[in-house]
Amino acid sequence: MKFKKGLRFDFVSSSVIEEKEKEKRINFILNKVKDGTILVTDCVFTPQDEMDLIKETMRRVDSGFPGIEVASLKKAPKGLQALLETFSDSTNKIKNFFAMLRGKKENKTPTKIGITLIGPARYIKKIKRNPNSFSILAEA
Amino acid sequence: MKIKFDFISWFLSLFGFRRTISLGIYGAPNVGKTTLANRIALDWTGEEVGRVSEIPHETRWVQKKEKIEIRVKNKKILINLLDMPGIATKIDYRQFLKYGLSKKEAKKRAREATEGVIEAIRWLKNVDTVLAVMDATQDPLTQVNITLLGNLEARKIPVIIVANKIDKKRAKPEAIKEAFPNYPVVEVSALKGINMNELYSTIANHARFRK
Repeated sequence: MKFKKGLRFDFVSSSVIEEKEKEKRINFILNKVKDGTILVTDCVFTPQDEMDLIKETMRRVDSGFPGIEVASLKKAPKGLQALLETFSDSTNKIKNFFAMLRGKKENKTPTKIGITLIGPARYIKKIKRNPNSFSILAEA
Repeated sequence: MKIKFDFISWFLSLFGFRRTISLGIYGAPNVGKTTLANRIALDWTGEEVGRVSEIPHETRWVQKKEKIEIRVKNKKILINLLDMPGIATKIDYRQFLKYGLSKKEAKKRAREATEGVIEAIRWLKNVDTVLAVMDATQDPLTQVNITLLGNLEARKIPVIIVANKIDKKRAKPEAIKEAFPNYPVVEVSALKGINMNELYSTIANHARFRK
């Protein structure tokens, strides 16, 4: 769906993001953002994934695509949820290790509960962050 | 100045012989990373590390000053100081035109700056301790700062936050302390050399080889 005017927002479920391997996930995000779409999803990436996203963004920067703006809010896990998250992180590290031994690519990386907005820097003019919220000023 | 991977140090480190702590200076562009590196290097060796400029992304390659001995009271530590290019999520060549660069120069600088960001991220594998520099006159809750600190925490790399530019009237170092309460924060002016002894004392107490 193409729009001639205005800003396009795509709200994508975390399940769509999570089911992709890291490389495909970053490609999926950057292809959308480079096309001018602001992507919103109900998850937060791991710090390593965020750095990889920045690295890949830098490789794609050109005169028409100066880069991205990212804002995210992570829901701090409590009680049983925190325990499950730690357990999930550990089991994924083990899975990734065995996948690596078998010569396979890194397995799917889990994301955390929260919200993330990624958009083209040429449209997102300002982001105001607070510990529990963020505001975006965008202009097409 | 481009630097090569230090194979000897890496090889010796495999057998536990790590002679010096690699202290990486990280942060967004124009927060005063090179000014801080120059101040530290000048204080202990009498020589600077790199050139400072008001134009963002002046440092586009990792700059290194090796074997700086910092002495605080009874403590002595040996560091390799690594001044990193600024980490950014966007680099628009048009921002450099405002500083009088030609379009060709601006595009070249932007391309080199993107390579610098990638190099700085790659070097996270090699640093032992990080000085995360933030401009005390700016809002500290930026994605670069959040992502950087999250990454360092995940890699178990010790961090000292340096709230720089406290000599400026608009400086609010307390905002940095509020935003990141779980980290040691040292307020300094690298340009004027204010509070550097506290920073050296914090480095001597917190800097260590990564786990």
